Amino acid sequence: MNKLERKTIKVKISRFDPSVDSSSRYQTYEVPFEPKMTVMDVLDYIYENLDPTIAYHSHTSCHRRICARCNLTVNKKPGLSCHTEVNGDMTIEPLPRFRVIRDLVVEGL
Amino acid sequence: MRDQARQRIDVQLSDQESFDIIIVGSGGAGLRAAIEAHDLGASILLMSNGAAGKSGATMMAGADITLDGGGAAKIGLTGNELDSKTKFFHDIIVQGYYLNNQKLVETYVRDAPARTKEMIDWGMKYIWNGKRAILTQGTNLNETLVNQVSKRHITIKNDFFVTDILTQHNSAAGVVGLDINKGSVQAIRAKAIIIATGGWQRIYSFTSAPGGLTGGMHAAAYRAGAALLNMEMVTFCPNVILWPPALRGDIFPYILIEMFGDLLDKHGRPFLRDEYDPLIYHIATTTEWNKLIFSLAATKIVARGDGSPRGGTYYSIKNVPLNILDEAEKIYPGWRWLRTDFTSLIDWLKQGNAVEVAPAAHYMEGGIAVDEHASTTLKGLYAAGECSGGLFGSNRVASAITQIFVQGVVAAKSAVAYSKKVRLATPDEKQLKQVESRLTAPLTRNDVVRAVDLKKAIKKIADANLWVIRNGTGLKKAVAELESIVRNDLPRLSVQTQALAYNKEWIDAIEIQSTLDVLLASARSALLRTESRGVHNRSDFPQTDNKHWLREIVVRQVNGKMSLTTRPVTITKLKPPRVMFGFEEGIIRAVKELGE
Repeated sequence: MNKLERKTIKVKISRFDPSVDSSSRYQTYEVPFEPKMTVMDVLDYIYENLDPTIAYHSHTSCHRRICARCNLTVNKKPGLSCHTEVNGDMTIEPLPRFRVIRDLVVEGL
Repeated sequence: MRDQARQRIDVQLSDQESFDIIIVGSGGAGLRAAIEAHDLGASILLMSNGAAGKSGATMMAGADITLDGGGAAKIGLTGNELDSKTKFFHDIIVQGYYLNNQKLVETYVRDAPARTKEMIDWGMKYIWNGKRAILTQGTNLNETLVNQVSKRHITIKNDFFVTDILTQHNSAAGVVGLDINKGSVQAIRAKAIIIATGGWQRIYSFTSAPGGLTGGMHAAAYRAGAALLNMEMVTFCPNVILWPPALRGDIFPYILIEMFGDLLDKHGRPFLRDEYDPLIYHIATTTEWNKLIFSLAATKIVARGDGSPRGGTYYSIKNVPLNILDEAEKIYPGWRWLRTDFTSLIDWLKQGNAVEVAPAAHYMEGGIAVDEHASTTLKGLYAAGECSGGLFGSNRVASAITQIFVQGVVAAKSAVAYSKKVRLATPDEKQLKQVESRLTAPLTRNDVVRAVDLKKAIKKIADANLWVIRNGTGLKKAVAELESIVRNDLPRLSVQTQALAYNKEWIDAIEIQSTLDVLLASARSALLRTESRGVHNRSDFPQTDNKHWLREIVVRQVNGKMSLTTRPVTITKLKPPRVMFGFEEGIIRAVKELGE
């Protein structure tokens, strides 16, 4: 059975609140996998069902690659969460070299 | 911990920072208003709930700019010289089912050529179609406007979620809201406010609009004492992609179907061609009436069980010859539109597959009530673009892009003139405290009603009862359910997230407070309008009733309660026929009236 046919995936997310944390840490979530789902879908799932405290850009996101404000890294590769398709287990982190506002949200995008 | 959070978010009212005009909303209407107000010498602050040029509906627009052919010829766009402002005016109103405020339409057709020429002079990329439209893309519009705003060094505040209009002596005195990244509540004073925040499509679960369009400023205007208008009018864009998720909400098939392709039911039948009058089919595939007709037809197909598994229908290009597709690719080189590459979708469709599509909440004809000077019913408060109501009556057939330019400039002129006559007011202290308490209450509660769940419940009510086809039973149910949420759930709404910076739950909780006002206004208006007119379809009242319903529905807050009244539509030149007719008859009548 290849990894895409598994029912759930493990998603490791970088958590960081500069107002209380001295450094970032990782938190892992188990998310049901749906074919063609995007990273934004995964984050929405976690927010809605597992942990409402995670921060990722979505309040004005266009879902069309236009605003490019949902930029982050998946397994160290930069991409837009609204258009990056999920391939299996992954690590999601904020875009490097930007000041982190909280978790995956950075300043300046 | 909870008390600490509470302490840290006392509202901050800046003594230092004040402006002649605050513009809320950074899409096309807000950007255009900012340019005009700046050039007229006002000090301005442009506020965005996202980022200027990177949020709002304008960037996602198809897009066209419409103007009359005669007016176009005068600015160098030739080919349709026999067309006139009078004809354009007439067409917008006939197809708006005469619910348009004709004074607003006069301004629209009058100013369209001048506003178009400015955009061309500012370097916007475009194609003139030789008739009544300039074709461009939302991204071009935004780039052109943002470039002009940057040149003027206009002050911009991004990621600021304005929640309320501050008032003093029944006039606008400033704004207050949440600085999303800081997690603080701030108030800023101004002599005049322009709202330019688009529609409230995001209250529905399926929409073509970007995040943030949840009607927050409609509710803010309403709470501050301004009237809302025709809130029952919602345009749905048919043929919007349901799946795959990366393309969900994309309107590209809607753009393609103007050129070719068919909408099929689950049996593969092109239902519009098979079941409707050939004239209706022709209108649906060749005019801007397509949104209304396709949405209605597709909704009926799904309702009778002939839709797709995800609740839509299918868009197919199976019968389109390949060389015709190659020609179309010249319009969208590499099958790219806006910033999305559709090559793999087109290839998949070429192999004979069909993509699942459905109507999506797309444009609001109703909104904050304005007159032809963009004045709302609250002194010092103006509204421009889609957030305002009345221009397009009950069916928009001309461009909403033209609307944002025309009304953005009108609002800026009015606001600047007003700001020169008044002095800066100190906002009402009591109101500030009330707003602060409302915004922060969900953070201080330890209760079980979560923003995530409540948001879902509200969307479900909108999807079920305020969709393409409505009926009295469903609308009454919607009103009762929303009232129950306001009474029982809203006072218990609780945010678990302790961090204040980018607190998504808190953003959702604040949105919910406004969403309920907007949706209740829409549901009550839809229930009151006991007829079908344009995009408002009542299965229990299928006739368009020009004898009784050439009236606007006005929603205001009176003594803390939502109050609905009606008033005759504003007519200047074009007298409506006092008759009643059904849906297909209405379209055929209108086509005859248009003489085309």
